[in-house]
Order: sequence, then C-alpha cells, then structure tokens
Amino acid sequence: MMSFYDSHLVLFQATFTGLILALSIQVPLRMGVFSFAGAGSYGIGAYLAAILVIKQDASAFVAIGAAMLATAVIGLLLGLLIFKLNGLYLAMATVAFDLIIGVIAINGGKTTGGSTGLYGVITDFTMSQLFTITLIALVLVALSEVGRTGRRVDAVRDDPELASSMGISLRRYRLTAFVVSGALGGLAGSMNVLVRSAIGPLDIGFGLIVLGLTMIVVGGSRSWKGAVIGAVIFTWLPDVLTAIGAWQELVYGIVVALAAVFLPRGIYGVLVDLNKGLQRRSRERHDPPPAAAEEAAGDVDPTTGDVRELALNEEAVP
Amino acid sequence: MSAQPVEQTTTPVLELRDLAVHFGGVKAVDGISMKLMPGLIYGIIGPNGSGKSTLIGAITRLTRMTRGELLFDGASYEHVPPSRLAQLRVTRTFQTVRLLPDLNVRANIQIGADARTTSEQKAGRRPSWFERLRGPAASPGVADAIRRTRLEGFESYYPSEMSYGTQRRVEIARALAMDPRLLLLDEPTAGMNQSERAEISGLLRDLREEGLTQLLVEHDVQMMLDTCDYVFAMNSGQLIAEGEPDEVVRNPAVQEAYLGKKWGKDA
Ligand SMILES: Nc1ncnc2c1ncn2[C@@H]1O[C@H](COP(=O)(O)OP(=O)(O)O)[C@@H](O)[C@H]1O
Ligand SMILES: [Mg+2]
Repeated sequence: MMSFYDSHLVLFQATFTGLILALSIQVPLRMGVFSFAGAGSYGIGAYLAAILVIKQDASAFVAIGAAMLATAVIGLLLGLLIFKLNGLYLAMATVAFDLIIGVIAINGGKTTGGSTGLYGVITDFTMSQLFTITLIALVLVALSEVGRTGRRVDAVRDDPELASSMGISLRRYRLTAFVVSGALGGLAGSMNVLVRSAIGPLDIGFGLIVLGLTMIVVGGSRSWKGAVIGAVIFTWLPDVLTAIGAWQELVYGIVVALAAVFLPRGIYGVLVDLNKGLQRRSRERHDPPPAAAEEAAGDVDPTTGDVRELALNEEAVP
Repeated sequence: MSAQPVEQTTTPVLELRDLAVHFGGVKAVDGISMKLMPGLIYGIIGPNGSGKSTLIGAITRLTRMTRGELLFDGASYEHVPPSRLAQLRVTRTFQTVRLLPDLNVRANIQIGADARTTSEQKAGRRPSWFERLRGPAASPGVADAIRRTRLEGFESYYPSEMSYGTQRRVEIARALAMDPRLLLLDEPTAGMNQSERAEISGLLRDLREEGLTQLLVEHDVQMMLDTCDYVFAMNSGQLIAEGEPDEVVRNPAVQEAYLGKKWGKDA
C-alpha cells in the first residue's frame, strides 16, 4: 500500500521546483525590476542539465551547477543589455527573452529534441537532495530580506532616487537582480528535469511565467514566505480541483482574480497587516505615543512667518 | 554686499560655478555660483518655482545639470554618480517626506547609518560576505540621531502611523545618521507647528556648533533669521541677492520677487 507521501511524490517535487521558479521572479520584483527572465532561465537550465546528463553522462550536481552558472551569466548579459529599461518595457523584453528560449527549444534539432524534447534524463538525484538544495536557496533568499540588504532592497524598489542618495548603487542592485533571478531559474529548471527525467517545449512556455507570477501575487510578492504559500497553493490546488472536472479552470481563474483584487499584497501581506495591527494595539495599551509630537497634526500653518508677510510689514525684521 | 563671514583663504566645503539646469525650455536653475564655507548655515529663499529644489537636486547629482561646475572640498565632482556622494558624506532631506513605508522608524534611520558604515568599511578591513549582507547589528549613529530629533518612543512606529511633522523629523534623523559633512535641507519644517520649528532650528544650530555645514531651504523668514549665517535669494533660477539674512529679506528685489508672484492680493 502506498503512503500519501509516495502517491503524491510528484506534487512534493513540483512544490519545491515551483517555489524556486516563483523566487526567480519574486527576487527581481522585490527590487523593483519587472523581469520575468526567470522563466527563460528555467528553460535554459532544464535543457542544459538534460543535455549534460544524456550526452556527457554528467552527475546531478555537475548538471545543476553548470546550469546555474550558465543562467547566472546569461542573466548578467541580459541585465547589461536591458537594465536601463523600465516597468512595462522591461517586462516585455524579458517575456520576449522567455519566448525566444521556447523557439530555440523547438528548433534546436537533435540537440534539444525538437517538439518531442529530451527524455531519459536519469541520475541518482534524490528527493532529500532536492529538499536540501531548495532549503539552502530559500535561506539565502530569506537572508536578503533582513538587515541591511533587506533595507536596501526596499529602498531600491520603493524610492530609487532616495536609495541612490543613501549611497546605494542602483545599477549594482539591478544587475544583481538579473543574476540571482537567472541562477534561481536555472536551478529550478535543472532540478525539475532531474526529478522528471524529461523536458519538452511545452514545459517551458508562457505557462511558466503565469504559474510563477500567480504564486507570488496570491501568496505575497514581498517575502519568501509569500512564495512558499503560493507554491503550495498552486501546486496542490489543481490536484484538488480535478475532482470537479470541467469546472477546474473556471474555479482556478476565479481564485486568482479574487486574490488579485482583494489581496493586493497577497495572503502573506494580510498576515503582516494583521500582525502590525496587533502590535499597534498592544503598544497603545502599554505605552501611548510620546506626547512631544503627535498632536501637531492639527495646528499646522505652513505659511506663518512667510517672507510674504514680511514684505507687508517692515517691523518684522529686527 | 556684505562679506562672507569667513576668510576667503579657507577652501569652501561646496562651491558651485555657473550651475545651470534646464528642463527643455524651462531654465529652472540658470547660472548660479556660490561658496559654502565650513561650519556655517546657509539659507536659500525664493518664491515657489524659483529653482531651490532643483538646485539641491543638482548639488546632490540626482538631477542632471546642463552646465557648470560642482566642487566639494575643492575637488570637482560633477561626473560622480549620486550614490557616491554618500562617501563624500553629502546628504539631504527632500521637500516631500520620503520614508520607506514598509520599514519602521528605526529601520528608516538605519538606512542613513548603513551608508556611513559602508564608506567606513571601504576605508578599512574587508567585511565577510555575511557581514556585508546583514550589516552591523546596531549602529551608534542611529541612537544618537533618534535622541537628537526627539524621536524616542517612536522607534517601532511605521511612517503611516505618525503625523507629518514627526515624519519630517525621521527624515532629518536619517540624514544625521549618515554623519554628514554637508547637510542640505529642503523645507525641513513644512507642515510643522511653531514650537516644532523652533526645535528644529535649535537642532540645526547645535549641529553648526559641531562644525556641520548646512544649506537650508525655508519659507519661514523668522526661522531663516534665527538660523542662518548667510542667505541667498533666488528668483527664476537666478540669484537676486545674497548676504546677511536681515539684509537679504529687506532687499527690495527680494520683496518684489515674492509680491510679483500674485501673492500680494491683500497688500
Ligand atoms: N523634472 C522636471 N521637469 C520639468 N520641469 C521641472 C522639473 N523639476 C522642476 N521643474 C520646474 O523647474 C522650476 C523650479 O522648480 P523647483 O526647483 O521645484 O522650485 P522651488 O523648489 O524653488 O519651488 C519650476 O518651474 C518647475 O516647474
Ligand atoms: Mg522646492
């Protein structure tokens, strides 16, 4: 008899690789860089790892390491090319990058296996290795959200001009966003092909962008915790929804739309706001705001003592 | 006009030579030259739209300049990127409050101290990658800045939970946490009441006693008279007067500039 774990092994694996994919899109977004290049890096990583294993008989770790290195370098080059673009234009350029990777996969002849893709990617990569690598990546991303780096990432996203006047090099942070996003995408793609032993053009299409983005929009785009929540929901929800058959897509769509409208900062954002509210209430109970300042709000008159008055009233000058 | 209060042999902390910033046809700053000597408070007055904020933007390299020279300690820096100014310990506050909404007061101020520790680290030992990621656990500059701006008790508040005047004090604290050598303040007391203004004026004078050079943009004339050693008056991107504060505010051209700006309705 199969345990729940064994019968759902594929979903556990998909949760981990989905989480890393989501992080590859979340990390740049958190830095205010609207790049979806993580999805393209996922494709590159998956194909590169597959080719290395099939053709070169590479071990799982060599395949993953090479995939990450390649996607990090490609991320850097892509970043140097387009980091000056902003907002929507940057997003479009990175989506184009993702689509180009898909076109290359289909037209790559024997190297990429054309429309069938590559299969028989067999290594000794284990579930516990997948789990450990995912955990390490998650911890590193989590570290970038605290302390000085966390503050600077906030500044770069929320107020780039302020950030540069506080000594933060926007160029360096933006390029880092591309490199980290590339490496995480490559990691997700290479681990995915190792656990599934096959990869095809359909696995790396536009759907990857949608999946990664959905995970972080619903889960929460500002923290790794949001990515975890989103990865769990959108890996397991479709499985739960198969029970309702034809209605599956509709329910899925409604869930996403509702989340986007009612939870602008995702489920994690709601938890953060609840926590802030609780903190504020306990603070007000234990120590009310210092008297010195909070009162001012009412009697502000920014024009008092203006030069204007002075112009009318010579005596005002000592 | 009256002489600068310090001998001309000292190198100015900041010198502008024929600085201009044009936005298309708008000459927001148009040929301004000034020298700021160490340890004094300089003021800029001028009606809205006269180019004061743009001037500060150009000095801090955030706004692209059209022509002119910028010198800090006698060395020109008009090609230095804005993020490097923190290393020169030039810092500013903004006319509109610019705090990070997701960070509490302490973390917002810590951002200023982060800039300081980075430039200190550049001078000395190389920190480990972990230290670089996390930053120092606590910076003395933060506690000091909180105390000086009287923000004790607000450390864990978020910007949206505080009055406008208090938010402005956090801006000033963030700038102070950087341990600046030149502090540029763009209407730091806008939205504050009289007693808060007097407090800020006192703080700026204390900082002056410690040798900090400051450039202050303010509309409140009484505050300018109480605070500044020397005042520049701007109109339409140009200097129309400079000198002792009381002389400048009495200057007919300055009065004319303000009245000309359709504020003289009840004159
Ligand atoms: N980014 C910009 N683009 C175009 N015009 C600008 C810009 N910033 C400021 N200006 C114009 O430059 C002039 C000076 O503005 P500003 O420096 O903000 O004046 P002040 O701070 O003295 O009120 C104004 O006419 C303003 O409209
Ligand atoms: Mg202004």
